[in-house]
Amino acid sequence: MKDFAVGLRGLRLRAVDHVSLAVRPGEVFGLLGPNGSGKSTTIKLLLGLLEPTAGECTIFGVPSGKVEARRDVGYLPEAPNFYRFLTGRELVMFYGRMCGLAGAALRERVDEMIALVGLAGAADRRVGTYSKGMLQRIGLAQALVHDPRLLILDEPTAGVDPVGSAEMAELILALKARGKTVLITSHLLGQIEELCDRVAILDRGRLVAEGRVADLAGAQGRLSFETDALPPEEIAALRAWLESRGRKLEAVVPARRRLEEVFRAHVGRGPRDTGGGR
Amino acid sequence: MNAVRFSPVRTWLIAGNTLREAARQRFFQFLLLLAFALTLGARWLRDFNFGAPELKFLADCGFGAMAFLGAALTIAATAQLFFSEVENRTALTLLAKPVWRAEFVLGKLLGVAALSAVFCALLTGLLSLTLAWREAELARMLPDAAAPGVGVSHAMVALGGLMQWLRLLVLAAFTLLVATFAQSQLFSVVTGFLILVVCHLQHLAQDAYARAGSAAGLIASGFISSVFPDFQVFQIADSLSAADLPVAGDVVRVTLYAFGYAAVAVGLAVVSFRRREI
Repeated sequence: MKDFAVGLRGLRLRAVDHVSLAVRPGEVFGLLGPNGSGKSTTIKLLLGLLEPTAGECTIFGVPSGKVEARRDVGYLPEAPNFYRFLTGRELVMFYGRMCGLAGAALRERVDEMIALVGLAGAADRRVGTYSKGMLQRIGLAQALVHDPRLLILDEPTAGVDPVGSAEMAELILALKARGKTVLITSHLLGQIEELCDRVAILDRGRLVAEGRVADLAGAQGRLSFETDALPPEEIAALRAWLESRGRKLEAVVPARRRLEEVFRAHVGRGPRDTGGGR
Repeated sequence: MNAVRFSPVRTWLIAGNTLREAARQRFFQFLLLLAFALTLGARWLRDFNFGAPELKFLADCGFGAMAFLGAALTIAATAQLFFSEVENRTALTLLAKPVWRAEFVLGKLLGVAALSAVFCALLTGLLSLTLAWREAELARMLPDAAAPGVGVSHAMVALGGLMQWLRLLVLAAFTLLVATFAQSQLFSVVTGFLILVVCHLQHLAQDAYARAGSAAGLIASGFISSVFPDFQVFQIADSLSAADLPVAGDVVRVTLYAFGYAAVAVGLAVVSFRRREI
């Protein structure tokens, strides 16, 4: 539970209200909710950046207020901001050193992470010249540099174009394949649905739903078919056939390509690590 | 799980980034140029000299520029560099790593202290060169007036520069303490200047109350003098003559006085920042 003081009259705003969650090792867990629902506050509580008014948070059994709890955590904040005067490589080096890495191991790890996020071509450019998508990717590299077991991503695709967003989704799946636990918040529900094993939905600081994506958004006793285009008489015959069995054909909708697919087909998916500079 | 210990390496890394960020700021460059101009141009300000020997007047102008512009630089840089980390959320990423908040606060102080040291060292070097050049010029113009062994003591000038830096170190620590609980940068800057005034003028208040025999005034000024350092103690290099060089014991005593106050202020800043919500 987390209350914030509001004004001078002792008024308090409850940002997180009796939320109880557990993220299992190796899963991708989505934290959903509208703006102001308490997602970022929950994440800050987890990271020990805020102190709970009541209750407790633990990371791998360690209370999150302790510095030790953050040793196995990588964090990418929403709309990250970094030291603009450092190059991408220097930035990841800096965070690696902060996590206790040094020498050849640090250099190897930095190179590996920069390659993983696709910024090898821009690694020696100043962070101040990076586009929003590149900032997200270098942010992911700094979050991963010390090989954490838990990765917390707060709106990792906010403000990123569809191609960058799809690349971020692929990276998250690759991390899951490596056995990482991922806690992610996003407003892109379609992407969350594709990525997450389980989700929790917050509203006004309260937990309103939690469970496996397949259970929450899965089958509801209804079917949809996709076929080649049919002439009107065949559709009528299909409708009659269903009605003869007590069923109803409720919708016939021409299939369309999703705009995102069109965008990605035209923009392409080649190496983008030097593009988009400001 | 092994404990994460306080790390001088991490502290130094934070200090390094603080210094790099500060040195890139136009404000620092402007104040440095202004101080250079005042130090170099002092010989053309002789209309404002009311009877002091010319070399002493030049030294006073140089140290005056160092004191006034150095204080402005230190207060503004401390508040700005602290709040920029919190408001730009670079602190968020940093403190989500296994980093102690004490390392962050101490790193900030060391970064500003290094900035002040660069400022004082450059100006002290320039002042020394200016004095040597003018002394040689005067010796050429007035060969009979130059007495052997009574020239400018550059050790005294260097000691003057060191005293200025110690004063700025204490000022930075107090401003940082204010910044850790202040909600705005402006409040920190204004309070920093108020602290500067109190530290400079408290001895005058004590003298005045002592002369007036006011018990209440003496108690109040005694309390203030125990909380705030007296910046008059740093005036031990107020001469250009080697004969007036203070004994080593006095220099050590003043240095310990400065480090003691800075340590107490930064200790309180750490306590205050530990509870701050990022």
